[in-house]
Amino acid sequence: MRFQDASPDARAVVYAGIQADPLVARASALLADATHDQRILARAVMNGMSTSPTNWQAMFPSLFGVNAPSDGPERARTEAILAASLEVAERGEQIRSQVRGALVESVTELLVRRRPGLASAALAAVRRERRILFDGVRAEIHPYDVTIETPGASEAIDCKWGARGINADVLHQLDDARTHAADEDEVLTATIVVFDAERSCAVRLDRQTAPHDATRLISLETLDQLAGR
Amino acid sequence: MDPISTVGAAIARARPAYDDLTALAEDVEDEWSYINDLASAWIERMDAVADARGHEPVAAGVAAAVPALAAEVALLDDPHRAIDWLSTFPQVLLIALGERP
Repeated sequence: MRFQDASPDARAVVYAGIQADPLVARASALLADATHDQRILARAVMNGMSTSPTNWQAMFPSLFGVNAPSDGPERARTEAILAASLEVAERGEQIRSQVRGALVESVTELLVRRRPGLASAALAAVRRERRILFDGVRAEIHPYDVTIETPGASEAIDCKWGARGINADVLHQLDDARTHAADEDEVLTATIVVFDAERSCAVRLDRQTAPHDATRLISLETLDQLAGR
Repeated sequence: MDPISTVGAAIARARPAYDDLTALAEDVEDEWSYINDLASAWIERMDAVADARGHEPVAAGVAAAVPALAAEVALLDDPHRAIDWLSTFPQVLLIALGERP
C-alpha cells in the first residue's frame, strides 16, 4: 500500500483555489473549536436564504438569547461563526457548495492534527487529496479528501457536507481501500465525515447496499472524535 | 395564532413548515423515498420530544425562534436545498428546545 498525490486535472486545479480561499481557513479554524450548537448554526446559515444576522440570532436562543453568554470567548466565537457563515452564504450557489465541501475537509484535517497519538514528527503524515495504490489493483479516480499516512495506523477519510452526499461510490471506494490494505497485511481505517446529524446519516446509510459496516461514520455530534476527544 | 408557551406548542407550530419543506423536497423525484424516510425519522424524533416534554414551558427566546425558523424555510424554492433543510430544520428546532438532535 502506498500513497500518491492526485494528478492535478482541471477539476483539481479549480478546487485547489477554493481550498486556498482565506474564508475556508478562517471558518474551519472557528468550527474546529466550536460547540455542537455553533456547528449547527454554521450548517443552517450556509444552507440558508436569509443574509440578515438578526434572523439567525432569533433562531438560535441557545447562542444569542438572554441565557447565552453575552460576552467572552464563546460569544465571540459564535459571532465570528455567524459572520463567516454569512460570507459563505453570500457566494453564488455553485461556489457556496464548493466552499462548504472544502470547509468540511479543512475542519477534518485540523481536528485530526490534534490527535494526541499523532507525534509532531508525524504531522506531515496528514495529507489532502491523495490516492492510495495497491499492488495489482487499478487506482481509484477520485482521491481521498484527507489521509493519515502512518505505518500501521493509516486512515482514509472522505468528507461530505450533508447526509445526501453518502452514496454507493464513496462507500465502495472506502471499503475497497480497507480490504485491499488488509490483503497486503496493512491496517487502513476507512472513515466518512459528514457535517450533518447522525440521524440523517443513518437514514441515508440504511438505504445503501454498498458495504459500510466497517466504515467509521463521524457526524456533527461526534466530530471531536477526529481529534481523539 | 396562540403564543408559543410550551414545548408541545413549539413543535406543533413548527410541523406545518416542516411538512411544506417535505412537499418541496419531493420535487426531486429520484430521492422521493429517501426524502420521506428522512422526514419520518425526524418527525418521530420531534414527536418523542413532544410526548416527553409537551407540557413544559419553553425557555426564553423559543417563542421567537420557531416563527423565525419557519419563515426561513418558507423562503426556499430549490427542492435540492429543501432536502438539506429536512435535516437542518429539526436540528435547529431541537437545540432551541434544549434537546440534542
